[in-house]
Amino acid sequence: MNITFETKSNCTVIHLTGRIDVTNSNDFETALIPILGDHRYSFLINCAELNYISSSGLRVFLLAQKKVMAARGHLFLCCMQPMIREIFDISGLSTIFDIRESEEEVLQQAD
Amino acid sequence: MKLQFNINKSLSLRIAVYVLSFCMLLFLLVLLVFFFFSRKQIEEMTLKNAQIITNKSAMDVERTILPIIHVAQNYKWMLENKQQSSEELYEMTRRVVENNPDVIGSAIAFEPNFFDKEGLYFSPYSHRENDSIKSMQLGNASYNYFYMDWYQIPVATGKSSWCEPYHDTGGGNVLMTTYSTPFYKTVNNEKKIAGVITFDLSLNKFTDSVSSLKILETGYATVLSANGTFVTHPKEELIMNQTIFSYAAELNNSELREIGRKIQKENSGYVSSTLNGVERMLYFKKLSSSNWSIAVIFPKSEMYLPLHRISIILIVLVCIGLLLLTVIVSKIISRQIIPLRHFASSAREIAKGNFSNQLPVIKREDELKDLHDSFEYMQRKLTLYIEDLKQTAIAKEKIESELRIAREIQMGMIPKIFPPFPNLVEIDLYATLQPAKEVGGDLYDFFMLDDNHICFAIGDVSGKGVPASLFMAVTRTLLRSVAHDQMTPRNIVNSLNKSLSTNNDSNMFVTFFLGIIELDSGIMTYTNAGHNPPVLIHPNGEVIVFDMTKDIPVGIFDTFDYSEKTLQLLENDKLFLYTDGVTEAENKKEEFYSEKRLITTLCNHYRLTPKELIGIVSEDVAQHVNKNEQSDDITMFSIVYYGNKR
Repeated sequence: MNITFETKSNCTVIHLTGRIDVTNSNDFETALIPILGDHRYSFLINCAELNYISSSGLRVFLLAQKKVMAARGHLFLCCMQPMIREIFDISGLSTIFDIRESEEEVLQQAD
Repeated sequence: MKLQFNINKSLSLRIAVYVLSFCMLLFLLVLLVFFFFSRKQIEEMTLKNAQIITNKSAMDVERTILPIIHVAQNYKWMLENKQQSSEELYEMTRRVVENNPDVIGSAIAFEPNFFDKEGLYFSPYSHRENDSIKSMQLGNASYNYFYMDWYQIPVATGKSSWCEPYHDTGGGNVLMTTYSTPFYKTVNNEKKIAGVITFDLSLNKFTDSVSSLKILETGYATVLSANGTFVTHPKEELIMNQTIFSYAAELNNSELREIGRKIQKENSGYVSSTLNGVERMLYFKKLSSSNWSIAVIFPKSEMYLPLHRISIILIVLVCIGLLLLTVIVSKIISRQIIPLRHFASSAREIAKGNFSNQLPVIKREDELKDLHDSFEYMQRKLTLYIEDLKQTAIAKEKIESELRIAREIQMGMIPKIFPPFPNLVEIDLYATLQPAKEVGGDLYDFFMLDDNHICFAIGDVSGKGVPASLFMAVTRTLLRSVAHDQMTPRNIVNSLNKSLSTNNDSNMFVTFFLGIIELDSGIMTYTNAGHNPPVLIHPNGEVIVFDMTKDIPVGIFDTFDYSEKTLQLLENDKLFLYTDGVTEAENKKEEFYSEKRLITTLCNHYRLTPKELIGIVSEDVAQHVNKNEQSDDITMFSIVYYGNKR
């Protein structure tokens, strides 16, 4: 797993690469969660290169969602591969995340 | 210490051999240089020596000859400027023999009819016979001296000459030569040839001195006359019988002929040549008073003989020296490295686990001391490390045993007796749970709410291991405590969610499916909280996957209101529930077992009982995984509804 951050307009874009499973979900958590304390209004997790996510990874996504919501921010997810999307759908989690098709779509809205 | 001859096993010997090899090379180099320069030196010295010997011999000869030549000059002057009587002429010849021991005979021979009173032949002659001197008149009809070489050549050339050597026929085996010089008289103001003065010289003294010359071992000297006749030579049969040219022809040796020509042509010089199969050096010099030459010849190999002898002695001495050096170096080194052997045995002891083993004592402050200190450091570290390891192992064992107990407790929480309700004819069910680690986060459960309602559930806690197992235990316990008769799946799950979400700081969640079947009617109500959709298998082989749920897993938002659905089960309808450990079971190529393959397997075995069906799917999953490490808990649950039997 690899995680990188960039700021586009007033949105922090987070790129995820590889797999997130029980072996690295803790690393993912320590890398992602502190960023969300930042006073940014919007956060976008780009999942284009995320190949697999286990339930441990989903837990971190939930944690992120809760933290952003508590700070009255907004968390977007985008560009999911079909398999990742399926995991979100099966677990019913797609109902509580704001999942979008493309990064541009989110950035336009965030402006 | 015993010298070990296995080079690979003895460091000391190996080093000694290296040193020896280097010394040997060095020595060889020095020897070669020495040999090369010595050869050159010896060559020069030997040639110089030969030159000196030759020159000395030549001088000896000249010393014998020169007085004779002076006497000849004096007589010539007397004959040309004074008138002598025949008696005086006899007296002159007698005196010269008397006064010069090397002169054997002397004659003053006149031209025909030149001396009026004596007629055609007149040649007073004195010679040594035994110890007395006899005089006589040499010429007569039988000895017509006018045609002899000793007379004819000086008359014709007008110059003094030495005739070729010859054996004196009268005086025994005496090798002789004759010196002749012409003299003139002035008659009617005209200078006319008057005759020839001759001296017969014995060559014996000269040849003896040359023959006794010895150069190196087998080197010798030889004298050649003007036309190349051997005057002296170690081979006596050559003397006076052969010239150098006839000898060359006899041996068929063109090189020798060339040497002969060179000797005749030049005053002195060196020749290097192969004669009689031996490489020889030759130095020659022409005598200044005659055209004779003296030469010394010696084999080249003898020239270097002393050098060879010295070289052999040198080699033997150095070999002995090097051998001694090897032994001494190898002894010194092996004494120096004795501690290394001790270190080796210490290391072996340490390897056996004996860390407190005494190390050899090193008093020096060198590399061995370094080694000693490193060894000591290693010993200390190893002791600490092993102690640490022991503690870790104990701790690990403790955790493992605790985990074993935890697993037993966890497994004790889920029902494992099948069939669970032997008296219940409407249904049959079976379930398995295989944690990926000692304890897992999957769960299943089933229990009767009342006589007519059976409640069953399957769930998957996020994550794995101890945290997941604790959350699973909490979920299972809460489920049993909140579920009671008159409740619907929606009530149960809502209640469960409320309890789990409160104070859930770790944000763990559990995907959960809960169903209740009314046994007499076959109506199933269910709630799916984010769990994999179960599969419905009709007795005709039709397989239907449930719709995906819109409800989120349990434990996330305490206010979430879950939905509920209803399904009419027909006779022999079968349900198959599973966790994602089944569909996401990976082989070594990281390929999932997949939902598609699961459905295919279920389709192929739709007639089987729940227990058989779960067995078949387990086998198929195991075949797919092919001994790859199990990454997630695998849980399966199947229930069949046989219809209303009341």
